[in-house]
Amino acid sequence: MSQLPGTLLDGLIRGLAYVGIALGLTIVFGMLRLVNFAHGAFYMIGAYVGLVVTEHLGLPLGLIAAPIAVAIFAVILDFALLRRFYDRNPTAQILITFGIAIVVQESLRLIFTGTTRSYAIPFWLKSSFNLGFTQYPTYRMIFALGIVVLIFAVWFFIERTNYGLIVRAGIRDRTMVQLLGGNVRQASTVIFALGGAIAGLVGAGASPIYNVDPNTGFYFLVPSFVVIVIGGLGSFWGAVAGGLLVGELQSLTTLISAPASDIVIYVAMAIVLMVRPSGLFGESELIRG
Amino acid sequence: MKDWQFYALTALGLVLLPFVIHPIGGYPALATQILLLGIGAIGFNLLLGYAGLLSYGQAMFYGVGAYVALLTVSRFFPQVHSIWLGILLAVVFVGVMALLIGMLTVRLYGIYFALLTLAFAQMFFFIVFQWRSLTRGDDGLQGITAPPLTFGPWSLDLTQRLPDLNLGIFGNLHDVTYWYPFSAVVVLGVLAFVRTLTRSQYGEILAAIRENEERSTFVGFDSKSYRIAAFTIAGVLTGLSGALKGLFDTSIAVDSLDVETSGSFVIYAVVGGVKTLFGPLLGTAIIQYLQNVISGNQHFGEAWRLIEGVIFVAVIAFWPKGLLGSIPQPSEFAYQPRFRPSDSLPEAKPMTEGIILETKGLSKFFGAFGANSDIDFKVRAGELRAVIGPNGAGKTTFFNVLSGLRSASAGTIYFKGRDITRMPGPQRVASGIAKAFQTASIYPDESVFENVRLAALARVQGMFAPEFLRRSGRLQQVDDIAHDALEQLDLSNVATTRAGSLSHGDKKRLDIAVALATQPELLLLDEPVAGMSIDEIHKTDRLIRALAKRMTVLIIEHDMDLVMGISDSITVLHQGKVLAEGTPAEIRANRLVQEAYLGGHVADAVPSSAPPAAPHTEANP
Repeated sequence: MSQLPGTLLDGLIRGLAYVGIALGLTIVFGMLRLVNFAHGAFYMIGAYVGLVVTEHLGLPLGLIAAPIAVAIFAVILDFALLRRFYDRNPTAQILITFGIAIVVQESLRLIFTGTTRSYAIPFWLKSSFNLGFTQYPTYRMIFALGIVVLIFAVWFFIERTNYGLIVRAGIRDRTMVQLLGGNVRQASTVIFALGGAIAGLVGAGASPIYNVDPNTGFYFLVPSFVVIVIGGLGSFWGAVAGGLLVGELQSLTTLISAPASDIVIYVAMAIVLMVRPSGLFGESELIRG
Repeated sequence: MKDWQFYALTALGLVLLPFVIHPIGGYPALATQILLLGIGAIGFNLLLGYAGLLSYGQAMFYGVGAYVALLTVSRFFPQVHSIWLGILLAVVFVGVMALLIGMLTVRLYGIYFALLTLAFAQMFFFIVFQWRSLTRGDDGLQGITAPPLTFGPWSLDLTQRLPDLNLGIFGNLHDVTYWYPFSAVVVLGVLAFVRTLTRSQYGEILAAIRENEERSTFVGFDSKSYRIAAFTIAGVLTGLSGALKGLFDTSIAVDSLDVETSGSFVIYAVVGGVKTLFGPLLGTAIIQYLQNVISGNQHFGEAWRLIEGVIFVAVIAFWPKGLLGSIPQPSEFAYQPRFRPSDSLPEAKPMTEGIILETKGLSKFFGAFGANSDIDFKVRAGELRAVIGPNGAGKTTFFNVLSGLRSASAGTIYFKGRDITRMPGPQRVASGIAKAFQTASIYPDESVFENVRLAALARVQGMFAPEFLRRSGRLQQVDDIAHDALEQLDLSNVATTRAGSLSHGDKKRLDIAVALATQPELLLLDEPVAGMSIDEIHKTDRLIRALAKRMTVLIIEHDMDLVMGISDSITVLHQGKVLAEGTPAEIRANRLVQEAYLGGHVADAVPSSAPPAAPHTEANP
């Protein structure tokens, strides 16, 4: 049982990483009704851009460069390809974003090879911090705080700003917002870029903990989908609750059987989908894709 | 394409395949590999193309099929010297597995279905990975010699080579093992099966469900059963693909169950063209061939997966129907129904006597909002009852609860004396309740005749008919019911028109004709004349009066001239409750009703003989 506090903390950190990725996924789905299988690719671009910048200019600049790079990439992708898929059925959206994910992942594999890379972070960040009941890596604590700040920043943006108002109204009824003069198209692009930027920031922020290789995007993408399905597709606090739940579930399962931690989230998702398809916090009318 | 042309051309193509790829860098084993993987892609296409279900878990059927086949021949029954047992057990096992998983997954759509199938595949990956004593986990199964192909006393080692015959630039016949002709025969059989299936009555109904599931449910098809069947058949074909590929390779790795394998079937089918018979096979051939050529190249070998991704994205973005699907297909729209007035039309059912429909304390809540609360309602058989009320009064919700589109939160519904409160929609249709929707719900890509014929088919064949092989369109009784329904709604002259190109008024009448072709005893019409021109309204008025002579009709309508003119009696709903009920004259004189419509200000200026003002075009979302 002496492992328990550390395991719970690991679960919290992992869960917060999922929340960070799922936030972008859920606001993009909410606003654009776009099911984005390429979201994991955004995480990975952020992770690799962060890696290169951190090596040369240090971690703080890495954390700034990553979201900017991903936002630019997201805007280009949106203009070049994805716009045409906003109004298509979810199947077409899954297919095109799945294809984009493969292209990004394989491009990164060609550039950076398939080996696992770790970040060059300052020594003091690698040290441990005494929490009283356990020693815990300092960087992980800072990462957790950063994600919490991020969650509230996104919440503030959506709930308290005028732009957020357009976004929320757009979630309810795109056409009506357009008729009232709201620029939904522009808002869509901004939201898509924002969702990407968040994923990129989390990618750069999480990689000092989890390292990065070309498959990382997928390993984080699928749990993030699980997170928003469990929480309820399109639900903000559902994504937060779902992320923490999934992170802890995975982490606690390692105490019993390490390999089973890979599978437990799928079992959880299957149960939620079969019992309550709209998720724990979702609206039941959304389930028909 | 005629049957013999199909078989002749397909057989010719299969015979030529291993030789035509020789000069461009292919080899016979690659041809075999294309065919065996192609079977899985064909199965997947049945799901994505014909049933509209995107599964991200086909790898579980492929992998499990391979494991079961290889374990059967190496461990369970090594004494049986025949390849058939391994194939048979694999197919049966995967079939049961697909049936069970299908029952759990097909009620979900889009992303949820994709993720749930992915979740199941990951679970099977985990089981195979962990069950080392049986599957050898990470090492996979290797070096398992497939037993010979047998027919009675005759047996043939499939790894044996064909006779020596030099074909010049097309290689040598001796390079081909008997695996190739065997695979080709299997593929020919699979193609013939899928071709028959998609043209069968089952295939036709499956396509109808994909096109408009709501309508299909409310003509009486049990859409879930149709999808489970498609899921199972697709699973079996993918399992067959895995079993044969495993036996051919003499090995299987646990990776065969991972997401990449599931994704590869998606890529094969989408690149080649879903909803086409040969598309998935073509897609498999192109991708497998390119993979072979490119990944062997020392300069771009590493870039193969990237190139594959680019091809995939390009196809989806520029040829969304896939390579074969983008070739214009001859339209099958020329189908001319053979109409001969016959006596085979079933006798009109004798009308039920007394009360046909009754609700007691019926309520429907959306969260805390009571859209319908405590509705007591009775309709006599043969009556034409109008349900009116201001917008938001809960009229459409009431109809939805009656038809089974939504479930009641409380209360009971009796139809012909039977409690149907918990009965699913299709069953209610079968027992005699049909519905025309507020926004016409039709099959836009089918002909007008086909629209009503599907409904008549549901009446004659029931909620689920596993007619996988028989072609439909040969049932005279179905055609007769369909023609009768068109006749009733005065649509016979447009029978061969594409339904989606009809005028608004014709679409609404077609929707009623579709409901009528299910031969209901109780017909629910939700705003049948909304948005119609005056002429169309008069015409529809006449048609509804005629229908009401044959069955009980419940109608929601805002057109007060129509309502007052045709109804036997009227029920007024207001804020989810019954406000008043009576003859048109009584309702017209009712002060409560006037207040409800005029917002509480009963103006003395409104003469009691005039209907309450309500514009024709009022929408009721």
